[in-house]
Amino acid sequence: MLSRDGWGGLAVAAASLLLFGLTLGLKDNPMVPIGPGFYPRIVLGLTAALGITLLVLDLLRSRRRRLSGDAKSSASVQPDHLAVAIHFGVFGLYVVALPYLGFRIATVLYVAAANALLEPPRGLKGWARVAALALLTTIAAYVVFERYLLVLLPRGRWTGF
Amino acid sequence: MKRIALAAAVAALAATPALAQFPDRPVKLVVPWAAGGDTDNIFRPFAPAYQKHLGQPVVIANVGGASGTKGAKEAKDAPPDGYTLYAVHDYIHSTYYAGVADVQYSDFEPVCLIASTASVLTASPKTPWSDWKGMVADAKARPGQITVGATLASTSHFFPALIEKATGMKFKYVSYEGLAPRMNAILGGHIDLTDSNLTQKGKVEAGQLKFIAIATEKRHPQMPSIPTLKELGVNVVYDVNRGLLAPKGTPAPVLAKLESSCAAAAKEPAFAEAMAKQATDVRYMGRAAYATWLKQNDELNRNLAKDLGLLKR
Amino acid sequence: MFELLGAGLADVAQAKYLVPLVLGTLAGIVGGALPGVTITMTIIVVLPFTFGLDPLQGLSAMTGVYVGGSAGGLVTAVLLGIPGTPSAIATTFDGHPMARNGEPGRAVWTGVWASVFGGLLGGVFLIGTTGPLARIALEFGPWEFFSLFVLALSMVAGLVEASILKGLLAGALGLVVTVLGNDPVMGRERLTLGISWLEGGIPFLPVLIGVFAFSQIMGEIERPRGAAARDAALRVSKLAVNQLRVIWEILSRPFLLLWSSLIGVLIGVLPAIGGSAASVMAYDQAKKFSRHPERFGKGAPEGIVASEASNNANVGGSLVTIMAFGIPGDAVTAVMLGALTIHGIQSGPLFISQNPQLAYGMFAAYLIAHLVMVVILAFGVRWMVRATTVPRSALYPVVLVLCVVGAYALGNSVATVYVLLVFGVLGYLMVKFGFPLAPFILGVILGDQIEINLIRALMTDSDLWLFLTRPISGGLLAASVLSFAAAIWQHRRMQNRARAAEGDTDF
Repeated sequence: MLSRDGWGGLAVAAASLLLFGLTLGLKDNPMVPIGPGFYPRIVLGLTAALGITLLVLDLLRSRRRRLSGDAKSSASVQPDHLAVAIHFGVFGLYVVALPYLGFRIATVLYVAAANALLEPPRGLKGWARVAALALLTTIAAYVVFERYLLVLLPRGRWTGF
Repeated sequence: MKRIALAAAVAALAATPALAQFPDRPVKLVVPWAAGGDTDNIFRPFAPAYQKHLGQPVVIANVGGASGTKGAKEAKDAPPDGYTLYAVHDYIHSTYYAGVADVQYSDFEPVCLIASTASVLTASPKTPWSDWKGMVADAKARPGQITVGATLASTSHFFPALIEKATGMKFKYVSYEGLAPRMNAILGGHIDLTDSNLTQKGKVEAGQLKFIAIATEKRHPQMPSIPTLKELGVNVVYDVNRGLLAPKGTPAPVLAKLESSCAAAAKEPAFAEAMAKQATDVRYMGRAAYATWLKQNDELNRNLAKDLGLLKR
Repeated sequence: MFELLGAGLADVAQAKYLVPLVLGTLAGIVGGALPGVTITMTIIVVLPFTFGLDPLQGLSAMTGVYVGGSAGGLVTAVLLGIPGTPSAIATTFDGHPMARNGEPGRAVWTGVWASVFGGLLGGVFLIGTTGPLARIALEFGPWEFFSLFVLALSMVAGLVEASILKGLLAGALGLVVTVLGNDPVMGRERLTLGISWLEGGIPFLPVLIGVFAFSQIMGEIERPRGAAARDAALRVSKLAVNQLRVIWEILSRPFLLLWSSLIGVLIGVLPAIGGSAASVMAYDQAKKFSRHPERFGKGAPEGIVASEASNNANVGGSLVTIMAFGIPGDAVTAVMLGALTIHGIQSGPLFISQNPQLAYGMFAAYLIAHLVMVVILAFGVRWMVRATTVPRSALYPVVLVLCVVGAYALGNSVATVYVLLVFGVLGYLMVKFGFPLAPFILGVILGDQIEINLIRALMTDSDLWLFLTRPISGGLLAASVLSFAAAIWQHRRMQNRARAAEGDTDF
């Protein structure tokens, strides 16, 4: 079977070839002697070739692995992929909600959610900690950036806030 | 104690300023070029003057890239509430007609025109000639060999193209977006010619650059030693005009406020002084005059693009 | 030059610049000391704060972070035995043993003073060579820039520890990122995949922020709870020490100090290699040249001096590359470069002659940051050990919010925040699949420039041979082939050695 190198190589090669196909539809511009597809084709050709090499090397190696019957020992500590997925999910929601809810509301919700997930609050005191962190972070960020540093933060399309 | 702090915090967050008169929060000014370019250098000193009369901070947002069309798109798609303005110059017409951008001037409401900068044809110190005559002779001897650095389809492309057309010379264009990279290239001698302006005076005096000709009606008071193209027998007058636009649909009272503040800001002595340093003339036009001017300029650019063989629409 | 430097020092000594410098240095020291927070991440967090400042204020803060971060890593390295940043790896080898032997004060301060001297030597190099190198850089045409970028990429791809193939692929993938969206010459859309926020192309700073912040934070989150818990810091009773004796201990080894600093500077000048390579290499050299190599690893002061002098000198070297050529030497200087552009300053060969006040202000900030660092450490070492116990559950959300603010403010649109998210996921996956991040980021940073310079070269002259026949360009391309061959040879040798040691294993 393929190892992670093989899958990685396969994914890269497939994506590169797909994009390479798309570059063929690009039209040249009379002002520039070479078209906008010229350089992308070089780069995508390179990634496709490298991806295929990675895949082939992995296939050769997997045959050798099977012959020697040598299985990779699994890592001693199993990484917690579920936690990572949840955190990416929460952050993704934050980013999507940002233009609709506005920076202030979305940030309060995000910081509270992420903090509560990372360290599940116990009792009233725990929730007070979550709320305090969320509010303090948001207020500090808002005051420092928008008021003091004049970095304008997104306003909510739904909330106008 | 904690509860009070929390309550105060919630109150602070909830305190949206009551819907008062425009503007009640900072105004964003989209500059569609990298910071440090000429457009940026003109609007940076304008922002504090404008801010003084608008009564709210004016924050410059450099949204550069793609021959200035990225910022144009961004400004066009902004909500038409007067809180997003767009710093524009003549490229809006030329990129549209050359088929580089889909955004055109009529996607916006004119606010005001503020400044005008004369173009100067500038040569690298490594070129063998030092004046117009020598350049023309060389260009005729080697057609298509003299390299010109330009932001393609923008003003720095149109200006040399006009000279090309008026004299029958033939240049070779190399893409250098923005004045700063063009300066690097011309000082190193990697291109022969480019469009610049009198802000590069210091380098000319230090012998690092050569001004060939200026595209004004009369010689410029800041550097009267440069001949005008007109007196050299080339009928080309070209300058770059910069103004403010707002997204289409911005309400009239908001536009009126923006316009009156702009008129006042353009009269600020600090702004005039900064413009003198940029070798730029303060040239104010209100909404109505600017609208007419834009229309004429658009027609002019369309004809130019057609004459130069760049017209794609 | 000296008047300019004097003027720069006078500028930066004003409160207006000194405050951001001190705050930046402090942030750098704390960020550097926190294990799992690199200098890159610290500078990413500091970036949005600099948007509203004037350019020199922003640069002072960032220079402070860079200098402080290199030094902050050593405190954790010495007292906890964990490198606070990757560039302090070699400091743990001797610093921690010395601290355990009952001399934590001597270990910390040897490191601090070595950082100062290494940093100042790096500063001499920085101030002395930036101008002349910038003059050389002005002679670079599109051919030379193209070849220089190719050299940078091939060197970084070859230097990765895992597999060269993956290093190369990661670099090429970085180039693919810059191909999407629009073409840099005419700005026309290409390969947008129908995604509206891709139309303007992908700016490199949100990519960099996303890739680094998420790969690091998610890497910590995936560790099951409890596994991350560390035993409390070494019971630090006394850190006071006779400073003069420590300083003498360093200065009495001038050769070691000079050589380590030189290694640091040279590695810094080379693009994207970074402080960790410099410190390990300098440590290795110190051991080779020592009369008592057996003392290394057991608390030899030479080991600390070599590591710390080189990683701070490395900062000076990286600043040379960014100031003379306008090419970021690593992720940290890439962020600084981004900050410069936001402030309207075009970096590149003309930077120092067109903005002498800013350039010399930056030199001054670099020098003063070292003094600030010593003062902060003199008062704050004790607190810093405590700072490493900040709960992760609070730190990570706050850091990510700052990343969002930074990304948003960069393009003033939510599109850049989407870029941040997408590349956060991608960066995490790349780490999981064993792809190195450094070549990828360099690819993203240099991609547009490689394409533009290639096309400019062809527009100026359609002769492709010019890339080889122009002497500097040809030399650079030859160097990139050589460096690549050397990397392959090195890997072969190491693989063979590993194979001989433990039979047939894959790498």
